[in-house]
Amino acid sequence: MLAERLARAPADMAARAAPLRPRLRRGLAWMRRSGLDPRRAGTVGLVVYALGLGAGLGLASANWATRGRYPFGGIALNAWTAWPRIGSRDADPYVRAIHARTGEIPIALGEGLLLTALTDDAGRRLDPSCRYAIAGATPPARAWTLTVERRRRAKAAPEAGGPPPRTGFTSTEILRDRSGRFAIALSPTVQPGNWLPMPAGDGSIRLVLRLYDTPVAASTGVLEREGVPSITREGCP
Amino acid sequence: MTPAGRFLLATLCGLVLAGIVHVAVVLAIPYLSTSDALSRSRATLANDTAVLIHAAEVSGPPEAAEGWLPPQDPATAVGVCAYDLADGPVRISAETGPLFESLSVHGRGGAFYAVTDQAALRGNIELVIMTRRQFDEALANADEDERNRDVRIVAPSREGFVAVRALAALPSQQALANQTARSVSCTIDADE
Repeated sequence: MLAERLARAPADMAARAAPLRPRLRRGLAWMRRSGLDPRRAGTVGLVVYALGLGAGLGLASANWATRGRYPFGGIALNAWTAWPRIGSRDADPYVRAIHARTGEIPIALGEGLLLTALTDDAGRRLDPSCRYAIAGATPPARAWTLTVERRRRAKAAPEAGGPPPRTGFTSTEILRDRSGRFAIALSPTVQPGNWLPMPAGDGSIRLVLRLYDTPVAASTGVLEREGVPSITREGCP
Repeated sequence: MTPAGRFLLATLCGLVLAGIVHVAVVLAIPYLSTSDALSRSRATLANDTAVLIHAAEVSGPPEAAEGWLPPQDPATAVGVCAYDLADGPVRISAETGPLFESLSVHGRGGAFYAVTDQAALRGNIELVIMTRRQFDEALANADEDERNRDVRIVAPSREGFVAVRALAALPSQQALANQTARSVSCTIDADE
């Protein structure tokens, strides 16, 4: 699963970088024409170039790493990633920078635990046009909520009457089977049972599981033993 | 040195510089940011009760709230209450109801204390946040015969805020969750 994802990464990167290449070549040609050939520049030019490169790359990478989603520091459990340290005093500098930029008030260590998922159990990105089944046992917590988020959510149409579309389930309101397990259908079309509509808008889909008042926060070993909800893709148009 | 070598050296220097800039910027953001929760909550410093900053949204349109938080759990209502320990210890008092409710205390370095409504004593949570110096004073002035039931928390910094989360587990509890998040009082404790 991981190997497959790793093997695909360079191809993804190349595909993303492709539209940049002609622009880069044009830029180099322009530099050569205006007498700024990097191979012939003087010491001053090189120093300016190094400073510019350092400032530009440094600022851009810092901006990218603190945009809103935690870059690392989570604990992976199948498709889910648990973030036990974001609400404690030993949060890493990236988490602090993200909180400072977004104004986020994290769930503190004694309050609960945040888990997020960007992929299904097979490691594929969550696709807004697909149908997913999120099933499993109740995590050990007094209450939990499972919500779906989109990076850029579409503004709700003001003329649309009725209640706003559902964005999540709480542990109290969810329908369960006889053994106490639940199954949520995440789909763009109406489904029987626990239907969670795929949010409109664009950008990537993210599933968020928040466990409130949970013994898991102290050690995620409990979650490994009891399991996290599975996310399986059931079909794509 | 060949021109290509000089160019390569300049690129390497640039990359090293980029690393330094990256680390410096990431470390500096929490100190320079004006949009973090701590700075934004300063506006509520004069209030005696928590201010709703995210309203529960499980049935019908949500109540008006100061919406500077990034996307939150739609089933929870979040209230904040800023404190400044320069004027004395701060007493946080919450009456718990049927809903799940949790209080967390955040300072400049992040959250340093959290408690849920399970810790409530006869439906009441009483926290007193104080500096180390105020804590020592309270200990020194304490009456031996009198029992104190407050939970005393020593804050690492003078400024901070208390966040209240109330969970509306059912759509019908939306209004109650907002009410719970708003009802937490935080006042300067005069008698300690």
